[in-house]
Amino acid sequence: MTTLLIISALLVGAYLVAVLEAWLANGRFRLTGPLWATVALLGRESIVPRTPDRLFFETAPVLLLVAAVLAAAVLPLSPSLIIANMATGALFINAALAYVLVALLMAGWGPDGAYALIGGWRFLGQVIAYSMLVVMPITAVAMRAESLLTTDIVLSQSGVWNIVYQPLGFVLFFVASLAVAFLPPFDLPTAGGELAGGVEAEYTGSRLAVFRLGRMVLIVSLAAATTVFYLGGWLGPVLPPWAWSAVKILAVSAAMLLIGHTLPRVRETQLLAWCWKLGIPLALLNIFIVGVLVLIWL
Amino acid sequence: MAVITLQTFFIAGFGLAAIGFGVAVFRTSSMMRSALALLFSQTALGAMFLAMQVEFLGVLQIMMMATEMSIMAIFMVMFMMDPGGLGAMEMTHQKRLSILAGVVGTLFIAGIALFTSWGAVIATAPPAAQQTHDLGIELLGRSMLIFETAGVTILTAMIAATAIALPSLQRNPHHEP
Repeated sequence: MTTLLIISALLVGAYLVAVLEAWLANGRFRLTGPLWATVALLGRESIVPRTPDRLFFETAPVLLLVAAVLAAAVLPLSPSLIIANMATGALFINAALAYVLVALLMAGWGPDGAYALIGGWRFLGQVIAYSMLVVMPITAVAMRAESLLTTDIVLSQSGVWNIVYQPLGFVLFFVASLAVAFLPPFDLPTAGGELAGGVEAEYTGSRLAVFRLGRMVLIVSLAAATTVFYLGGWLGPVLPPWAWSAVKILAVSAAMLLIGHTLPRVRETQLLAWCWKLGIPLALLNIFIVGVLVLIWL
Repeated sequence: MAVITLQTFFIAGFGLAAIGFGVAVFRTSSMMRSALALLFSQTALGAMFLAMQVEFLGVLQIMMMATEMSIMAIFMVMFMMDPGGLGAMEMTHQKRLSILAGVVGTLFIAGIALFTSWGAVIATAPPAAQQTHDLGIELLGRSMLIFETAGVTILTAMIAATAIALPSLQRNPHHEP
């Protein structure tokens, strides 16, 4: 029952994110837009390229969706509304997100197309840039909670939310989650106007629909992770816990889309240089500051 | 006769999957398939850990291998002359030596498994959170020196590799190609 509820919530969230994305892209707010887009995609022929690695080509969209759903499985929407409250929840989410990379490499290699291939390998470079900026801020979050249980992490913020307690970690995690979801300005693997869709380029019809759904769910999962780790999860006055979670997740998703909309695409070399020369030292500083705060203040 | 529990069933299943993917690594000519088969072999090992109720190690294995094997994939694609395996290139060599090494290695590992005194089997695994705690204490105690040595060695190798990869400034002071 919980699983069903959370998966429905994810789908509704993904739908709303799709509405938002279309709104930002073409300036028209249409609540039924993604519905018609889906119907159109499902109605179209799903073409298989001439010499594909069929196994990877078919697996990639499904793996992206599964990875995104698994990442959300360890995140609580309310104290009891969680699929799997694992003792290693904060680590498990990294494990699930790691398979986004595998899915994109498969989508890049599978169709045997130049644009897709470049897009796939680009994302590998992107992972090398951002992965430490996902793991290290989460380390600091777990340090404060003294637990990897995501429900404990939310409860540890009952006094002060982590966005206030460790703002540096929040900024790093937020930027990194834009890179995980390959949203602008980090949309290097898809890169419209440059790679003609990149990893998405060779997908059509129902396969493209699954791929897009996977990405939308990924955005919602990452927004949920940001909410749980930094915005106090379900905590808040008056409204019921699940409503607070929903409001925060949608707000974070909107922020993710909006920020990307205003920035030019980053170059791969710049991304790597910034992440390694600036991001990682800042993430270490964040761990140090949180360590001191935990010792002297709690 | 021991009753086959659901746990044993899953451990065996994931173990067979790990071996199956391991075999697939050498049965394909595509470097990408080979690398990702190794990835899923390692993922199956992680799932085995989970089936054995060793949650932290299982999740860690599943997480680390996804990135590591993907990075290995690009090196395999870069360094093989036929990364797609489309030219039906023969990928094996020194077969007799390989078989011999494989058999000796298997016997050696089986010997270790059989002749080591593993101590009493724990009936119920401690809770996952307790395991994470114990692992942390172990890593910062007895095993710290080993891990620090390994860590510094890897760091040294990384710096050395980067230094080799950089164009030499002395040989080419004006950055000319």
